[in-house]
Amino acid sequence: MRNFLAFIRRFQVLLIFALMQGLALTFYFTFVHFPRSQYLTTASNLSGSILEIRNDITKHFALSKNNTDLQKENVRLMEESNLMSFVSLDNGLVKINDTLHKQQYSYVPATVINSTYDKRNNYFTLNIGSAQGVKRGMGVFSGKGVVGVVHNTSEHYSVVKSCLTETINIDIMVEKTGQFGLLKWNGRDARRGTMSGVSNDTEIKKWSNIVTRGGGGIFPRGLKVGKVEKADVVEGKPLWDITILYSEDYRSLQRVYVIKNLLLEEQKELEDLIPNDPVQ
Amino acid sequence: MNVVVKIGLRFLFFLFAQVLVFNQIEIGFGLQLMIYPLFILLLPVEMGVVTLMVAAFVLGILIDAMSNTYGLHTSSLLIVAYMRPMIFKLFAPRDGYDALVETNIFTMGTAWFLKVFGILIVVHHLWFFMLEMFKMNEIVFVLQKTFISAPISFLICILLQYLFIQKRVDK
Repeated sequence: MRNFLAFIRRFQVLLIFALMQGLALTFYFTFVHFPRSQYLTTASNLSGSILEIRNDITKHFALSKNNTDLQKENVRLMEESNLMSFVSLDNGLVKINDTLHKQQYSYVPATVINSTYDKRNNYFTLNIGSAQGVKRGMGVFSGKGVVGVVHNTSEHYSVVKSCLTETINIDIMVEKTGQFGLLKWNGRDARRGTMSGVSNDTEIKKWSNIVTRGGGGIFPRGLKVGKVEKADVVEGKPLWDITILYSEDYRSLQRVYVIKNLLLEEQKELEDLIPNDPVQ
Repeated sequence: MNVVVKIGLRFLFFLFAQVLVFNQIEIGFGLQLMIYPLFILLLPVEMGVVTLMVAAFVLGILIDAMSNTYGLHTSSLLIVAYMRPMIFKLFAPRDGYDALVETNIFTMGTAWFLKVFGILIVVHHLWFFMLEMFKMNEIVFVLQKTFISAPISFLICILLQYLFIQKRVDK
């Protein structure tokens, strides 16, 4: 016992160091995959409000670009909408079939109050939280494309794991041909991501559109991600290494929408009925 | 000025400067500026290593909380705090340190600062980027990031001392 105490006294500095280092590393490795609380992230009220003050000052820097983007989005929506751009050919006959549709997605507007794009893993902080119905795992997109998945929320703020993180893993596919894979980011270029898991016996056309596949119920099907910039063969594997040019420029992103899937519960319930593989 | 108040103000300065200014500077090439190891270097010489580590832990965790790194800054700053007494001993001046004099670039000389803070900041950056990547096949990228970011952070730390520390010699 006395030896043990002497040992502790001799190495006490090293032990305290190891303890604190262990604590810091535990925080890091658990929070990257599953944040257990809002503290230690920018979703907490204190850092959230400080960053909101900072954003109030700096938000005007990209104002004209953001306004142009919103205007373009409006034009796109106007062209799609029946009321604004189509002439009715059969006057007087009105056909409304609203019982044939059920709303699946609803969208909550939000502002990005803090974002980075040059770190290894980049997270965006939004100014809405669980009070507005945001939950972990919801999808986030902007007028031009996919942004990320909600990672953590507090009452008034939330942290989004963006398309500029290593393990973003959004289900994506080539729009025309339907080959699907996962979205990844290699940490170097904020304009480009990669798509993994596409077998190289199929053909990939350059500049074909990449959209979300909508498998997990997080994103609706067909939301824009980007375009195929180039496709190389992975050495030693029968797979394509596809570089995607993102359609959204994450460096000056401000206005985003959080997607609420109203039928997610139903989908989850149904998928839970699939029996797991029996353990032999 | 009272030493405690001075250290407290400096703590807040480094916290907000890092989070609100230097974290937002994103030029590319893997450049990431981290100036807060200077806070640990400027703490009084007679401060024990455990106190240093507690200070490092608190500063690190606050920076982490405001930049979504969940403990990376804490871990790297702890290494700096743990190594500071060893490096100080290694490069001690001939007649030891004066407990009353702050260890900045003016009092200790440029050569001493270059060696001591140079080692600390390279270790800090290397540890930070290695932990952030955590992949052996990205080691070239880690080294690229370290040897682009560390010299520029170092230069900014020298600049900060010229800006904010009074150069006058007491007595």
